[in-house]
Amino acid sequence: MFQEGQGYFQLKSEEKKDQAMVVEIAGLKLKNPVMTASGTFGYGEEYSDYVDLNLLGGIVVKGLSLKPRPGNPPPRIMETSGGMLNAVGLQNVGVDVFIADKLPFLRRYNVAVIANIYGESYQEYAQVASKLSRAEGVHALEINVSCPNVKRGGLSFGSDPRAAAEVTRRVKAETHLPVIVKLTPNVTDIASIALSVENAGADAVSLINTITGMSIDLSTRTPHLKNITGGLSGPSIKPVALRMVWQVAQKVSIPVIGIGGIMTAEDALEFMIAGAKAVQIGTASFINPCASVEVIDGIRHYMHENKIKNIADIVGTLQT
Amino acid sequence: MAKDIYIGEVSRNEEVRTDFFLMKVTLPSGFVEPKPGQFVMIRIAGLNDPFLSRPLSIYSFARGRSNCTIELLYRTVGKGTRILAGLIKGSLVEISGPLGEGHFVTPNTANIILIAGGIGIAPLSLLAQNLCRKACRGKDAMTFYLGAQSADVLVGLNRVNKYCGNIIVCTDDGSAGMKALVTKAFQKDLKKYDPADTAIYACGPRPMIRVLSDMLGPEYFCQVSLEERMACGVGACVGCAVAVKDELGQKTYKRVCADGPVFELKDVIWE
Repeated sequence: MFQEGQGYFQLKSEEKKDQAMVVEIAGLKLKNPVMTASGTFGYGEEYSDYVDLNLLGGIVVKGLSLKPRPGNPPPRIMETSGGMLNAVGLQNVGVDVFIADKLPFLRRYNVAVIANIYGESYQEYAQVASKLSRAEGVHALEINVSCPNVKRGGLSFGSDPRAAAEVTRRVKAETHLPVIVKLTPNVTDIASIALSVENAGADAVSLINTITGMSIDLSTRTPHLKNITGGLSGPSIKPVALRMVWQVAQKVSIPVIGIGGIMTAEDALEFMIAGAKAVQIGTASFINPCASVEVIDGIRHYMHENKIKNIADIVGTLQT
Repeated sequence: MAKDIYIGEVSRNEEVRTDFFLMKVTLPSGFVEPKPGQFVMIRIAGLNDPFLSRPLSIYSFARGRSNCTIELLYRTVGKGTRILAGLIKGSLVEISGPLGEGHFVTPNTANIILIAGGIGIAPLSLLAQNLCRKACRGKDAMTFYLGAQSADVLVGLNRVNKYCGNIIVCTDDGSAGMKALVTKAFQKDLKKYDPADTAIYACGPRPMIRVLSDMLGPEYFCQVSLEERMACGVGACVGCAVAVKDELGQKTYKRVCADGPVFELKDVIWE
């Protein structure tokens, strides 16, 4: 379905020297393999005072649903050792407001915009995908079948290989854009889900979303989160994410995008060696808005130090 | 890019009352003068445990010739603030801010009322200082109701004394000032204040704000500074949600960090 030439990036002359960092995910050329993860970078605008968005490989915007969603009642977050739990519940402005009010801002930048989409039914996923595919300035879709904090949709689609495949097919039928499926770690065998969505036509998979967890207030014996459980993110989940990326990369032939606790370029490179063609920076942005740019600089430095000509040369080079 | 993460140097950090600390941080001159009610996210440079930065209200701001200085008045409540409390002179901290689109607005009223409970004094002290300079019709037009559990945890009194003619101190045990909740003391005086010519500002524990919410009808102009756990401080994570009424009176979740931390009391929904 993907049309050659669509969503291609115009590299400015000063960026040409950085050709070694360019990666291609399902036909979508990214300046470098580093994107910001959905739900951790707002709609780009929130961090635009801190980060030059033009430097990023891509921005994955906060999950979009057909109608605006109010999100879960507070408290929504809790710090944990080396990370945090969140149960935001996909609070978002809805796809129409995103296209009308948020997308024009992003169009001012020369950066790949990946819209993360969420639905409570197959139909809703398809409708959101259809609207975004007709909008100017969206370069790819990432299907969220892995949110642990919503009652309907989300994780329930992502933990069943057949449902995940059906969502993928329905979205693919509505769009010419590359489709990335974001996978949940809250399953017994993540590779089988990955295979299932690959067979259904997914152009890439991204993993992992947050790991379901909880935290209790001893003084009141109540959960710290109103939702009781939430999604764990941050550096504490990196080893789990890395293991899953490695497992999935061995099974599928589509590109794998690594996510989970990446704080530094070293972390990102580990994911790439394990088989990720690109990575997403998530929770790290909360404590350091410039984390994504620092990761890009660090990867460039590593390539220079190790005389690596093209970033693709290290993908999947794990020696076992 | 207009904003930055600043490296600040701690020039003072001491316990001024039991569990209450006053930290003075020197920052580069690029740090913008905060509006009262705004806050900073602070973390210890290079330390990733505790993981998240801590949001702290700005207690004071001063601009020098080559740098500027902020004061942060905070209470130790958990791991993060306890580690901050251990910082010595010369320690480096990472600070982003001033943050928060919702800040206290300058009134044009005869009466200005400030109501603080406990550590809620921090943003109100900066407000009092600013109002003193800009809006106040003389020291006596501003009344400060200051509440604390007891005299040994009563903070900030000397500071507000400089800005405010009328200060009513309340403690739960009567060890300083009146033995009453600060909201009770305010309620006694309420009939003195014409709603049309009074601006009220409050910061304190949630139950205190709740009492004010029950006490004050929508005819009063009252702004309150709210607290919630935060991760990013800039509106991206949507973690610090608070239920408020939107323009149509419908319930919506706003972000304490970006849309607040200061809200109109009449908009706050108590769940």
